[in-house]
Amino acid sequence: MSALEFVNVSKSFGDVNALNNFTIALEQGELVSLLGPSGCGKTTALRIAAGFETSDTGSILLGSTNIISLPAHQRRMGMVFQSYSLFPHLNIRDNVAFGLKVRGVPGDVRKKRAGEMLDLVRLSDLGHRMPHQISGGQQQRVALARALATEPHVLLLDEPLSALDAKIRVEVRDEIRRLNRDLGVTTMFVTHDQDEAMSISDRICVMNNGVIEQIGSPRDVYNNPATSFVAHFVGSINSLPRGNTRVLIRPENLVLATHGEIAQWRGAVTDITFVGAFTKISVVLDNDKSSVSVLAISSQIDHNIAIGKNIGINEEIR
Amino acid sequence: MKFVAKIWPRLYIAIAIVFFVAPLLSMARFAFQRIPVISLGKDNLFKRWTIDGLLTTLRDPEFLHSLSVSLKVAFFTVLVLLFLMVPTTLWVHLSAPRWRGVVETVTILPYVVPPIALVVGVSGTYRSIAPWFLASNYSLVPFYAILAMPFTFRSLDVGIKALDLRTLVDAAKSLGASSLRVMWNVLLPNLRTSLINAAFLTITVVLGEFTIASLLLKRTLPMYMAQAQGSEPQGALGLGLLILVLTTILFTLVSIIRKKDSKSINVKNINVGMVP
Amino acid sequence: MALTGISSLGQSDPKGGSHTRTPLQRFQLPVKFKPIGLIPFFGFVGLFLVWPAISLFRLAIQPTKNSDISAMREAITGDYLDSFIYTIKLSLLTALLGVLLGSLLAASVLRIERPRWFRNFMTSFAGVAANLGGIPLAFAFIAALGTQGLITKMIDYFGINLSDAGFRISNFAGITIVYLYFQIPLMFLIMVPAFNGLRASWSEAAASLGAAPWQYWRYVGLPLLTPALLGGFLLLFSNAFSAYATAYALSSGGARLVPVQIRFFLQGNTITGKDNLGYALAAWMIIIMLITMTGYLFVRRRAEKWQQ
Repeated sequence: MSALEFVNVSKSFGDVNALNNFTIALEQGELVSLLGPSGCGKTTALRIAAGFETSDTGSILLGSTNIISLPAHQRRMGMVFQSYSLFPHLNIRDNVAFGLKVRGVPGDVRKKRAGEMLDLVRLSDLGHRMPHQISGGQQQRVALARALATEPHVLLLDEPLSALDAKIRVEVRDEIRRLNRDLGVTTMFVTHDQDEAMSISDRICVMNNGVIEQIGSPRDVYNNPATSFVAHFVGSINSLPRGNTRVLIRPENLVLATHGEIAQWRGAVTDITFVGAFTKISVVLDNDKSSVSVLAISSQIDHNIAIGKNIGINEEIR
Repeated sequence: MKFVAKIWPRLYIAIAIVFFVAPLLSMARFAFQRIPVISLGKDNLFKRWTIDGLLTTLRDPEFLHSLSVSLKVAFFTVLVLLFLMVPTTLWVHLSAPRWRGVVETVTILPYVVPPIALVVGVSGTYRSIAPWFLASNYSLVPFYAILAMPFTFRSLDVGIKALDLRTLVDAAKSLGASSLRVMWNVLLPNLRTSLINAAFLTITVVLGEFTIASLLLKRTLPMYMAQAQGSEPQGALGLGLLILVLTTILFTLVSIIRKKDSKSINVKNINVGMVP
Repeated sequence: MALTGISSLGQSDPKGGSHTRTPLQRFQLPVKFKPIGLIPFFGFVGLFLVWPAISLFRLAIQPTKNSDISAMREAITGDYLDSFIYTIKLSLLTALLGVLLGSLLAASVLRIERPRWFRNFMTSFAGVAANLGGIPLAFAFIAALGTQGLITKMIDYFGINLSDAGFRISNFAGITIVYLYFQIPLMFLIMVPAFNGLRASWSEAAASLGAAPWQYWRYVGLPLLTPALLGGFLLLFSNAFSAYATAYALSSGGARLVPVQIRFFLQGNTITGKDNLGYALAAWMIIIMLITMTGYLFVRRRAEKWQQ
């Protein structure tokens, strides 16, 4: 039995099919990302699970119960929003304790539990501050603590990292992963950022135009994309001519031909970008003028390579 | 439940609209129908409607005089306000940001001194010191500027906050523009909406103000209306309606201009003149 | 504070031109004393608002020729005290009703999503109605609810005689109804942005935490609206308290409202014997407004803290 299951959930707004026969099952304790461009239906799916949006058809199973007709406040799903959405008039502790308060948990128990939750996200010192007095990253960790305080069946995260700075983003991302593992809470994570999805998920569900393109582990989705959309959306990819067709090869799976070696493709170097351990070399192919990038290990690059030089490219043999 | 939740807002709005429209319709009937209420019935409901009363009033030289007084006072009030408040607000934002709170609080002072109290104080002071000042119609100008100060400051303040003034001034200066040129060619065009907004509100306030004008015995438009109520009631009510319609048009124009570069409004920048 | 940000731009000039004043610095720092540019503003307010207002108090506490007690004391005794109580009661009632009915109207209008123009229309109309006071408003209500009014006549047709029921457009109930005509729209204009300021994600967050709709309103919605409600109440109170023209035109100068009472002591050019009393009544009005507006500023400053 799955922890959370969408069965044939469909939703349209006017003429737009936001979600089409969406079916996925989350195992207990699993972290699944819904990944796709904006408007792909990922947020709609999350909001239907939370009860903020009604679905046209289909059911949502929590364990073995269908909760599709249950109002949002009876679903016991913790939700974290992109905009943090802490209650601005309550201090941090009262924010975290809010879910317990509306459930009628007595004051001292509430206080103790809120303290524990703040310990969990390592913000125990900030209990008396107001939301506007702490940073965005701290606010989002408080939002996590608030959502988890009521021990929800499922944790729903709606682009929780999008409003944060790059460095804080990684911190909060790791925090989410840690909480998911430590507490064993089933988590659904909506994002448009493939790096985020790759680094955090047990499984990724890639979506486009309201339809699931592929569900699989990050490795699976990256190495064996089921569709051209997945190949292009997850990681970067080159499209190269081979005979009458084209092949899709990731930049790191291309190698520069050594001197005298027969090259499958030849082209002129247009740009060389050093990114630490790797160097990205942009090439325009001679035969069809398509742009290709090669990700080569910096230490193995021939020093003679320069912009304008003609070089050979081969597919890496594995 | 769902049905009730859907119905009650509509029902309530309908009742509210009746409350707000009924007095205006009654006013229109009185102004434009020459039948006393007592003898009004089903058969003569649509008879004897005429705008003669209003036309008579509009041709009245006294009316024309009061209109010209009110328009002149409105014009100079807007002028005084702009020359006073635009430099003040810009100065606060550019040179003395610490004084912003003080200036803001001072601009709320006109709410603390009701017009009736202000006019009593004015005659208690200026009448003995500068009687020539109170004798002129234009003595209304500074006091009307005071009445319009709260929303004028707010409108400019919000407009300037939205501008990122410093970057704008920096950019203009780095291109070699002089202070005056920055003011004229960069700041004023960008504050257009705020300025028009404040000016229109000021005009409505001036055209409707009665308290100060009546106690200083100035023959402005509202004073004319109050007096015509006795001599030519139909014309006075017709005139009242006409002014109402014109005010509505002014307000709609303001809101259209405001929509054009719409910003979110909050409690801090509501523009309401409080002079009923 | 803000200045350092700007002038540092001039100083960071890599060519070492920091000794010559850049045009920017000339514009920024013409003088050492920053508030100098505010002198015209403070001078204007001082001359045309503060001086007359303060003079009121000076005139009110001057010894009176033909009375033993000071005018300030006399202005809050007997009939004058009744006038103040009457005016405050009217202002409180119309403010309370205005807060209630105006907030309801805002909530109702915001619920209606189509047609799109409806919301804008209501906001424009409220803008007009909130500013509509004085003579035209009094005219409209006399034409509707006066003894010869159209609505009076219509109600009479159904067998209810307003006049016999003790209703007059110039008595307490009458003035209350007339004042609501500008109080409700004013509150509407205050509450529309306040309701819009409630983020959808707050109610969703509350729901996901298990709060039923009433619990959301009790613990989140209402506390967040409190500054607007309270501030609105104080604004509405001061609005009604200082209103003069409407009351004057409604009752042709006979009402018991303080503003209309003040007029008796200042009939145009002629100063009556007890003109100190007029000053004292006005002074007391300012004191009451000072308390009200201080409360308003306090509420707003507090709200601004977490509204940023």
